[in-house]
Amino acid sequence: MTVDFSVWVVMVALSLIGLAAGFLMHRSDFCMASAFRDVFLFKSYRLLRALVLLITLSALLFELCRLTGILPAYPFPWFSPPVGVNFFGGMVFGLGMVLAGGCVVGVLYKMGGGSLMALVAFVGLLAGSALYAEFHPWWMALAKQTSFATKAVTLPQWIGVSPIAPIIVLVAVGGFFCWRWLRAGDWIDTNEAEGFIPLWLTVVGLAVLGVLVVFLCGVPMGVTTSYAKGAALVESWLIPGHLATLPYFTAISSYNALPIDGVMRSGGAGATFDIVAIVQLPLILGIIGGSWLSAQLLGEFRIIWKLPIKQVAMVFTGGVIMALGARMSFGCNVWHLWGGLPLLTMQSLLFVAGLFPGAWFGGKVLQQVLVSGK
Amino acid sequence: MKTLEMDIRGQVCPSSLLLVLREINRHHQELISGQLCIVILTDNRAATGTVPEAVRNMGVDAVVEKVDKYYRITTQQQNVRGKRN
Repeated sequence: MTVDFSVWVVMVALSLIGLAAGFLMHRSDFCMASAFRDVFLFKSYRLLRALVLLITLSALLFELCRLTGILPAYPFPWFSPPVGVNFFGGMVFGLGMVLAGGCVVGVLYKMGGGSLMALVAFVGLLAGSALYAEFHPWWMALAKQTSFATKAVTLPQWIGVSPIAPIIVLVAVGGFFCWRWLRAGDWIDTNEAEGFIPLWLTVVGLAVLGVLVVFLCGVPMGVTTSYAKGAALVESWLIPGHLATLPYFTAISSYNALPIDGVMRSGGAGATFDIVAIVQLPLILGIIGGSWLSAQLLGEFRIIWKLPIKQVAMVFTGGVIMALGARMSFGCNVWHLWGGLPLLTMQSLLFVAGLFPGAWFGGKVLQQVLVSGK
Repeated sequence: MKTLEMDIRGQVCPSSLLLVLREINRHHQELISGQLCIVILTDNRAATGTVPEAVRNMGVDAVVEKVDKYYRITTQQQNVRGKRN
């Protein structure tokens, strides 16, 4: 198989973006699962504030790019009109990410930092992706029954207005809160870890990296379909006959043209090198590598082999549930929070609305598993 | 003074904070009076911010040190550092 030079350029650039993102996430321990969980578990809004800043900055940057014609397509490809099950998928995802101890990207940077527990969650994510493939046709039929606003992907499209006014409102409200938190001193970090980068600085860096991903790929950052690809690869070794009967792994579901060459390429969740692998795999490897580099430079990379078995079971289960949630909602938290919400896509709004009750329930279960009975 | 050591290295987030809060609630009086200190060994970078902040809110101070490839957080009476200064 030959790979075009333009594809190599994009993949190398994405690896470097992933490297920078992984480095920043490790230094600041920017965990999106904690952002939702800590609101309920500790009444701490520190990470949720950072997430609001990320969404606000991303919305501003994406809209500026759209207005200047730099953004390749609006809305981003691979987002579709909303379905009621987006909310349910968000709930399932919220539960899973709390039990797994990190979201789909949190698991990567924690793994790069040497966390064996994150590797357990990663294996759970692959297993959950394989499990979803077993009932994908049934889920799609259910999703179709809960569809509404069949022609509108974003909220501005649904209400029939230009995106600029709703985005100005979003940025103004988000900006107002961020300014109030600045006045209250809420952006000051008390973290005493060596080499800690202030959370706000990491978020600014991530917002810029997110825009660079769109420049290169035409779609925002996402990783979870590649987890499904990983699951398909394992099944192709172990049970190739069964794999061939699963529409989720055999169908071509995505089309996209890289802005660099404009060539339309197709892809899906199968174990093939396609457009999904081109835009996701370098980011995954980059994030792991960036986090590993950060941990090595700090002298903090160390694998702890002795893990509480109860936690291992919970984290694996969390990974499975998180993957199910991502597939049931047609995207993970990174896809929806960092890519969809800044554009006010309705899928993402429903997903995020579901994340809160899911994270609340996850926190209750987590508390039971970690602190009960000793 | 008695010492309670908690090795939370490698455990899922937020084990450090949840387990420390549980022990502080159990031994609050001993910690306040300086009869007991809790030593937490953690490789969770976030815990170096969240644990001291939480224990200080409960009337107990905390000191963070980097040891080898992990962090050691030691609780102490809230006025100890003030007396030393």
